[in-house]
Amino acid sequence: MMKIETTLSTLAEDINAFYDARQWHFLTVNGIDLGEGKIELQWIFSRYGAKDDIVIYNTQSDYETPVPSIVSLIPSAFMSEREIVDMFGLKIEGTERGLYLDKDSLEHPLRGES
Amino acid sequence: MKKTVHIPLGSQHISLLEPIRFKFECENEKIVGVDADVGFVHRGVELACTRNFEFKQVGYVVARVCGLCAITHSLSYTLAAEKLLGYEANDRIKYLRMLMVELDRIHSHMLCLAHTAENAGFEALFMQIMGDRELIMDVQEAISGNRVQFDFIAIGGVNRDLTPELADLIRHNLTALSEKIDALMVLFEGNWSLSLKYKGVGVLSLEEAYIYNALGPLARATGLATDVRAETNDFPYEAIGYKMILESGGDIHARNFVRLREIVNSIDMCRNIADNLPAGEIQEKTKGKPKGEALVRVEAPRGELFYLVRGNGGNMLERVRIKTPTFSGIPAMMEVFKGSEYADAPAILASFDPCMSCTAK
Repeated sequence: MMKIETTLSTLAEDINAFYDARQWHFLTVNGIDLGEGKIELQWIFSRYGAKDDIVIYNTQSDYETPVPSIVSLIPSAFMSEREIVDMFGLKIEGTERGLYLDKDSLEHPLRGES
Repeated sequence: MKKTVHIPLGSQHISLLEPIRFKFECENEKIVGVDADVGFVHRGVELACTRNFEFKQVGYVVARVCGLCAITHSLSYTLAAEKLLGYEANDRIKYLRMLMVELDRIHSHMLCLAHTAENAGFEALFMQIMGDRELIMDVQEAISGNRVQFDFIAIGGVNRDLTPELADLIRHNLTALSEKIDALMVLFEGNWSLSLKYKGVGVLSLEEAYIYNALGPLARATGLATDVRAETNDFPYEAIGYKMILESGGDIHARNFVRLREIVNSIDMCRNIADNLPAGEIQEKTKGKPKGEALVRVEAPRGELFYLVRGNGGNMLERVRIKTPTFSGIPAMMEVFKGSEYADAPAILASFDPCMSCTAK
């Protein structure tokens, strides 16, 4: 497993340079609440046909800073992005709430403060 | 300009086992656009795993995510927790875990095949496959003591051993099932009526499988060679005869045959385990509390199941991330519907083998 540090401003550029759909399987976007308004975000990939070859793009942010979408690079990422928006109340461009929660829900269950 | 009509399928529909709603945009009978609503049975399992239960209990909680692949959920979490504790199971435990996972794959694939037949209008075939499936359900119940929620896997081992009598039951029922699967393969390949419903219907191309990150039987039916059993070192799958099953058609027929051939392979693997079970304890002591981050992938019947577990050295975990195969497969499924006939939608949907309980968790 390899972790690569990235930033929200360079995320799309980093993943664009890295991702080849025929080599890498996009696993998911993961969020982990770190407390005190901080959140760790992970974009996780595994390589087809290789044993335990996993790459994670990792960064930290807060609840308010908009997170860039990678759907233009990886069309299937919209499901994971919608989940993150629902569960952590983050803002991701072009992504609405309402996958699991009501669209007008004010809850964000996986935030530490919840 | 062609007139488009919006037709919903679900959330409650005769072809659905669980609630999901597809919103189809149709031109005459052809589907040209699709949207999916998958969150009807969200239960907050990830939150419960970090707020309400200690790490030793979580394996039993995550098993309740799904009634069909409960064993792969508890296995994935248990492997992650064991990695954080620095423990690796002995060979007997690994073999017993593989046995239950492969038995689970057989009965899950049979449920999908039965459901696909039912949704294509073949009620008697549905009944026949469901009846045959009981051979495996009986074996799982005899081994674990439970019929659905097995609670067989625990941190540090498994909860029940395989006795010689149980090994005999496995051999007997697998032999009986093997003959029935052979007959099913002839039927699925050669029956003209089934061909009309399955061949060339609901096609996902290899290129689309890559683009939309298809996984499990849906991907392997397009020729995309991906299977977690071949992509991790957690279990000695090669030693028990694992083979990756690939088809190339990408249609319902190809998905049916991936599942049928995987059943045959899983039967072989289960026989090999029953005949060559290594000696050893079935429960070993683990020490400490989970600290750090572990990622685990297990091939569930519908594809890759992914767990990320993070602990801080206490009894309560910081994060349990569950990514289920149907959740990841939704984008590819939506693509398959586009261009298909609306009348074929129920059979196509059943051929995905969707699990909404997993998806909404």
